[in-house]
Amino acid sequence: MEKIQIFLNINDTPCEVMVSPNDTLLEVLRDELDLTGSKESCGEGVCGSCTVQMDGKPVRSCLTLALEAQGTKIKTVEGLANGDELSDLQQSFVDHGAVQCGFCTPGMLMSADALLKTNPNPDEKTIRTAIAGNICRCTGYAKIVEAVGHAGHPQDHCPDCKTGCKTDHKKGE
Amino acid sequence: MSDYTIIGKRMPRIDSRAKVMGKAKFTADLKLPGMLVGKIKRSPYAHARILSINTSKAMALPGVKCVVTGKDTEGVKWGVFGYTRDQQFIQTEKARYIGDEVAGVAAIDEETATKALDLIEVTYEELPAVFDPMAAMASATELIHEEFANNINVHVNIDTGNVDENFEKAFYIREDTFVAPEESYFQAEPYAVVARFDHEDCLEVWCPNGGPHMKSKPLSNAFKIPLHMVKIKKIAIGGAFGGRSEICPADYICSLLAKKTKKPVKIEFTREENTIATRQGHAMITSHKTGVDKDGRVLARETTCYMDGGAYSSTGPIATTVPFLSMEQAYRMGSVRYNGYRIYTNKPIRGMIRVHGRGFACGLDTQLDMIADHLGIDPVEIRLRNSRQPGEYTSTGSLVSSCAMDETIHKAVEKSKFKEKWGKLPPFHGIGIGTNSVQTGFPMGIRGGSQSFIKFNEDGEATVMSGVVDNGQGNDNMLVQIAAEELGLLPEDIHLVSADTETTSSDPGSYSQVSTFVGGHAVLNAARNCRKKLFDVASKVLKVAPEKLAAKNRLIFVKDDPEKSVPIKKVVRISLLNFTSVNAEGGYWPKVDMKREWVSNPYGQMCEAFSFGTTIVEVKVDPDTGKVDVLEATAVQDVGYALNPLVLEGQFEGSIAMGGQGGMLTEYHEWKEGRCLNPTMLDYKLPLACDMPKINNIIVESIDPKGPYGAKEAGMSIAMSAAQAYSAAVSNAIGVYMDSFPLTPDKIIAAIKEKNLKAKEGLE
Repeated sequence: MEKIQIFLNINDTPCEVMVSPNDTLLEVLRDELDLTGSKESCGEGVCGSCTVQMDGKPVRSCLTLALEAQGTKIKTVEGLANGDELSDLQQSFVDHGAVQCGFCTPGMLMSADALLKTNPNPDEKTIRTAIAGNICRCTGYAKIVEAVGHAGHPQDHCPDCKTGCKTDHKKGE
Repeated sequence: MSDYTIIGKRMPRIDSRAKVMGKAKFTADLKLPGMLVGKIKRSPYAHARILSINTSKAMALPGVKCVVTGKDTEGVKWGVFGYTRDQQFIQTEKARYIGDEVAGVAAIDEETATKALDLIEVTYEELPAVFDPMAAMASATELIHEEFANNINVHVNIDTGNVDENFEKAFYIREDTFVAPEESYFQAEPYAVVARFDHEDCLEVWCPNGGPHMKSKPLSNAFKIPLHMVKIKKIAIGGAFGGRSEICPADYICSLLAKKTKKPVKIEFTREENTIATRQGHAMITSHKTGVDKDGRVLARETTCYMDGGAYSSTGPIATTVPFLSMEQAYRMGSVRYNGYRIYTNKPIRGMIRVHGRGFACGLDTQLDMIADHLGIDPVEIRLRNSRQPGEYTSTGSLVSSCAMDETIHKAVEKSKFKEKWGKLPPFHGIGIGTNSVQTGFPMGIRGGSQSFIKFNEDGEATVMSGVVDNGQGNDNMLVQIAAEELGLLPEDIHLVSADTETTSSDPGSYSQVSTFVGGHAVLNAARNCRKKLFDVASKVLKVAPEKLAAKNRLIFVKDDPEKSVPIKKVVRISLLNFTSVNAEGGYWPKVDMKREWVSNPYGQMCEAFSFGTTIVEVKVDPDTGKVDVLEATAVQDVGYALNPLVLEGQFEGSIAMGGQGGMLTEYHEWKEGRCLNPTMLDYKLPLACDMPKINNIIVESIDPKGPYGAKEAGMSIAMSAAQAYSAAVSNAIGVYMDSFPLTPDKIIAAIKEKNLKAKEGLE
């Protein structure tokens, strides 16, 4: 198929790429722009590993054509940190042990980040609903839900926030 | 309790930062100059003789660089054991399941490679196929492998003696049969492999693996090149759960394409291929016959299990045994006879899986609940009367040194308020308990031990080398934590080189719960040897005996006078100026019975330590829809010692999800004539964030005498016991002992209907 030139805005950086009309945004991010943080796990829009934000909203980049991304602002996991400084959400994922194999993590972060942008203080049910489209096979989601809940406003009773551990899990509480 | 600086602390994992930034590289993320795309042509038939393969049209397609078939191989068969060598990496004679490898293609891009697959013309003669293990054993048609009569791939027979005599003495005997279909791993990362031959003709391979050394040996055999020329490289791995322990035919096909094209080649599996053409969990039909005394103590047990092994052996002898082992470790059995049969069928290959033997273990525990019910004992009491105690030997002769099984039961009961709830919950509410035990490794001959090497750099920081692989569970962090603790450094002072067959020594791999116990132990020993060298030099500087020194926070100091200290960096530099090495090695080999063998001699010390876990869950069942809501899960495990509670909790929580929520409620494969009908995430129901219950984690520490810092294993006892607890809770909620797992809504509704019908008939 003949390739055409398109202009994209990825992580606030304008870029021009040659794409086939049937190229997905995920293929262009990974293969053309070397942004391999977004992952392909199911390839059919079920697992959420390829989630990126389009104008602040989480979308499946495996089901989004690159052509559709023209004129929008795309944010990927590579755009979350400020240089070497992790965002509060990323730091919270690290501190709370929300990352195991890490393959679903980029997509999970992009869904959670989009939630926190519209609702900075979500309750547990809201968090679980917001990330229900992101499958994690390692964690059982508990630490991810904790990490999202604590992002941005670490609370002093939390064992894993930088404010210090007050909980002795070995005693079963 | 301890004065450790880093060990035992809730330390965030060292690999998390790269992963949250999207910087961690997984195999599919790799791009090498000139790299080609590889694809595999698979059999569309469940059982078919390959008459001819014509590759000329595919080769003629512009952009196709290479096509390989069985003719390009030496026809060598691979098997984990000498007596299970039954799988070619590309089939030469016949295909034995839908998905079996028949050819490989390398092309300039994916589109061309996919087109080329369609242009490869394979002529098959279809053969009668069998899809049910019981039918396969009785089948009079062509055997799947001609050397295995009745399609029986493995038969494990264990008999401790006195079984029949003890049944004679029993007060009460029950015999029940339980069934469970296949399940899959659904690792987040689909399988992928990149291979190339470097300028020295060494084979370099990147792929998810449960142990790099388990990959290098078969590739060395297949290409007839020495082991030092096969370099399995370190790469981030997106989950394994037992499904990436062995060589994958794609590893060989990718390497062969790389060899022939002299270019790097990458093969990425689709999600469907990951399900069909890697491994799956075995389907099982398990009969337990159990005889107890009047107090519910087991006097005799006879278990027969038929496992649907699929087309090839894989880790068959291990897989046929582990479900039995988990139960013989968890419970005293008086006397026991076990016959496990792994049967070939024309279905995908089955291997090890994290919740291996769900039908086996849930059946055994369900039957225990039935016996307790009959005797008027509660489920907790019957478990306590049969639970493993420290200092005992298992039925097959393994000494259990450390064991806090009873403590896990007591703590789970207390936290979940089991006693207050048992028998007092509202209709269609239920509570259930499961207990399990897993081994830390098994006799693996020359690959049973792990070795580590540590080198200090002149800036006082260290490089630690270890063959241990991290599949996502946190092994890398575990190794760094141990090294930092022993060397007196901070975790950030340590660079880890691991899971690379060129630079790291042999290791048993991370698929038998052995990484901490053996691999971590090797690093601990290497670090202590290295520290001894530093202390010898520091003792001269500080003018005290080496025994009086300790290391912490980059300093070596006098224990009784901590003000008196010298920086480690300075000690390193003094050593180097005095012609003294600051490198060291260390290893660990578990003292197991090397004569123990899965089939020929299944007796003797299996491993040095066993973990024990108890899970209790509370559920609410909707009798109209059969939907199960899990209200709370309590996971308690004797892990020996918690090196990092933050990581352990993650293992517990993931185990509840995979073992209980998915494993017992939604996860199973459906089939039509050997074709898997739900190979993708759309059809195979994995637990989501909104499905999961509140989880209580309780860590119990028994301080194993052999484990590093007393540590054993974390998580797998929970994954297994969670399955048992989920099934027990649902059975309790609906008042029917379920014998077919997982407990999907259709089965639950049918069981309730049947129960109501029986009650009605009873009234009439």
